[in-house]
Amino acid sequence: MKKISKILLVLSFALSITTSAFAVTVASWGGAYTESQKLGYGDPTAKKLGIPVNWVDYTGGLSEIKAQVEAGAITWDIIDVYAKDTIIGCDEGIFVEFDFDKDFAPAPDGTPASEDFFTSMPSKCAVGNILYAWNYAYNNETIGKKKPKTAKDFFNTKKFPGKRAIYKGAMSSIELATVGALKVNPGKGNGKVWAALEKEGGVDKAIAAIKKLCTDPNGGCVFWNAGAQPPELLANGEVVMATGWNGRFFNAQMEGTPIVQVWDGQILDYEYFAMVKGGPGDADGSTMKVLREMTSTEGLAGSAKYIAYAPWRKSSIAVMLAGEPWFKDGKTNMVPHMPTAPANTKKYMLMNPNFWADNQDEIKEKWEAMKAGL
Amino acid sequence: MSTEKILSSDGLPLEVSLRKAERRNKIKALLLVAPLFFFILIIYVFPIGEMLFRSIDDRKITGMLPKTFKTMENWDAKELPGEPVYAALYEDLSYLKETKTYGKIIARLNYEKSGFSSLIKKTVRKINKFEEGNYKEQFIEVHKKWGQMAYMGALKRAAPKWTFAKYLKGVDLKYDPEGEIVQVPEDRRIHKILWMRTLNVALWVTIFCFVLAYPIAHLLATLPMKYSNLLMICVLLPFWTSLLVRTSSWMVLLQQQGPINDLIVMLGIASDDNRPELMYNVIGTFVAMTQILLPFMVLPIYSVMKTISPSLMRAGKSLGGTPLVAFYKVYFPLTVPGIGAGCLLVFILSIGYYITPALVGGASGTLISNTIAYHMKSSLDWAFASALGAMLLIGVLTVYWIYNKLVGIDNIKLG
Repeated sequence: MKKISKILLVLSFALSITTSAFAVTVASWGGAYTESQKLGYGDPTAKKLGIPVNWVDYTGGLSEIKAQVEAGAITWDIIDVYAKDTIIGCDEGIFVEFDFDKDFAPAPDGTPASEDFFTSMPSKCAVGNILYAWNYAYNNETIGKKKPKTAKDFFNTKKFPGKRAIYKGAMSSIELATVGALKVNPGKGNGKVWAALEKEGGVDKAIAAIKKLCTDPNGGCVFWNAGAQPPELLANGEVVMATGWNGRFFNAQMEGTPIVQVWDGQILDYEYFAMVKGGPGDADGSTMKVLREMTSTEGLAGSAKYIAYAPWRKSSIAVMLAGEPWFKDGKTNMVPHMPTAPANTKKYMLMNPNFWADNQDEIKEKWEAMKAGL
Repeated sequence: MSTEKILSSDGLPLEVSLRKAERRNKIKALLLVAPLFFFILIIYVFPIGEMLFRSIDDRKITGMLPKTFKTMENWDAKELPGEPVYAALYEDLSYLKETKTYGKIIARLNYEKSGFSSLIKKTVRKINKFEEGNYKEQFIEVHKKWGQMAYMGALKRAAPKWTFAKYLKGVDLKYDPEGEIVQVPEDRRIHKILWMRTLNVALWVTIFCFVLAYPIAHLLATLPMKYSNLLMICVLLPFWTSLLVRTSSWMVLLQQQGPINDLIVMLGIASDDNRPELMYNVIGTFVAMTQILLPFMVLPIYSVMKTISPSLMRAGKSLGGTPLVAFYKVYFPLTVPGIGAGCLLVFILSIGYYITPALVGGASGTLISNTIAYHMKSSLDWAFASALGAMLLIGVLTVYWIYNKLVGIDNIKLG
């Protein structure tokens, strides 16, 4: 039975192959993000190396690639994944382990890759591409005279009455609660927030803080699902403040929505590329060549031309600074909008994927139980 | 009576030749059915069977920690196990490290008890430095969790090759260290709530759909062709629109600053600063799902009503029934097969719905299928996902069975 179902999986994947031979296929999140990747480094790399780079959309998670690997019919070479997925995928043996400094190009001044990247990788199978922020924003026109400035203000319903939009999952919400309501100082990416969460009852306290905010007659919560929702909810006055991804807020600002982002207590989170073991371009080395080129200094800087997510390499920021105004419209300076810009990183958290790899199932159950009691 | 056999034209007894012809026809019929049969077998039965099989199959980890589980057989799980268990664990983990396959047990054990992921990783990193003898102490030195019953008990629970633990988890139960079935801690009891919520949503959506669809179907069946065609297009048009588009349109309509609320304020039903919440609660879920599933109710009822002759109602009235009695005694019973088909269809579809409730239902929008999707895609706990799937399937089959008992499945008509 196992064999037959394997053959079936192979068949169904064979039918779904949309890639041409010899091309390297990258699975990513789609939308404006994939567009920035394609224009920023995908197309230039393909041109330079003569290896076509295909982009396919997926909705995250490792289920599809796991199915491909189990069926022995792998069609993806590179996947754009969260930190915790690089850890799980590496554990499961789905991804290739990198020899970091050998596999990835040094900075133009010769600094080895491992030092040029913003911080170390969560697993041996990951190479960073962008950093983005979970921060919050408010609508400048509806908020009133006083403006929120800190993570604490998000929980201050006396000073800022009105509903808040928060992410439907516990990730990012309980961290924000730990900083904003339980008043743990995140400093500059120190691990205190997750240490507080790992303590006995730490998660429960954070969840209780969110519950308090949601049941507060002056407050209330709207849970968002898709990244496009927070700016929407702010624009049409459904909520007074919304957590979200800084790139989405930036795009809305560029379209003229009167949104202001608050960077205090932002969670700096990462996106990575992982290379699939045994993918179509693995054997002849073309996947590695493409990946090396895309994650070079120039490559990573390229994507920030199209979206407000920061390149992982410090040297890429230097390239952007030298090339300002870097945004595609030719008049917006991009570096101040980066989640890694000094003005935006006075107090921030660095996402801790190991905490989530350990505890996600348990926290999810508690989180859903809290939501069910609202 | 003559006992002589009747022969057919080719000299064979008629009986034999008849049987031959019949067999030929049977083979022909089977051959005609074969493609569909294999299609169903290959596309549905095998993959679904394989997936459901995962919910009880726990052999992978049993094979990866063989020595540990063997020594654990003699351990009563009342207090911490002795040295032999830790020594066996050391041997198993060293082997897994050598073959670089320890990653596979990490995820599995972390499902059993949160925190195993970093525990195993940390231990494996340091396992080369272990000295011979006194393994228990060394393990606990690497991480104090190795000295906690919660973790050692969880390890023992992972030992059996076959397990129903995932099904227990689906109704908020678990095995305690002594092997008794107990409830999970109160702040983690979520699945029962989700089951009830899913049933509740499916039930109400079915009722709303029925209430709305019956008059529409009646109009469709009785209006002159000219108007009924137009009405039919109105029913079908949303049917051809993408689900996400329809859901997002409802989000535009129902939001607090949206047109429906504007209308309510304009009519003076509510004041401007006290607009009712029509979305991000169950109201949103009911409204959007009812509209989306309405055609599935209208069409079967309509096609049954179409076959009911108008003269039957007239006959009922001429025999002395008021219109109400005639409707109740004559018309309604004739439409029951259509109602049955529609209700079953809508109920089964809505029990597996999750995108729409997740978008418009707010905190109440998480249903059991969201959880299945989460375990399929995010936590990769396919065993638990398939256990929940199996329970959902059993639920649907139960509904089907009840329906069969009450109304009879032959009494169902899609047209």
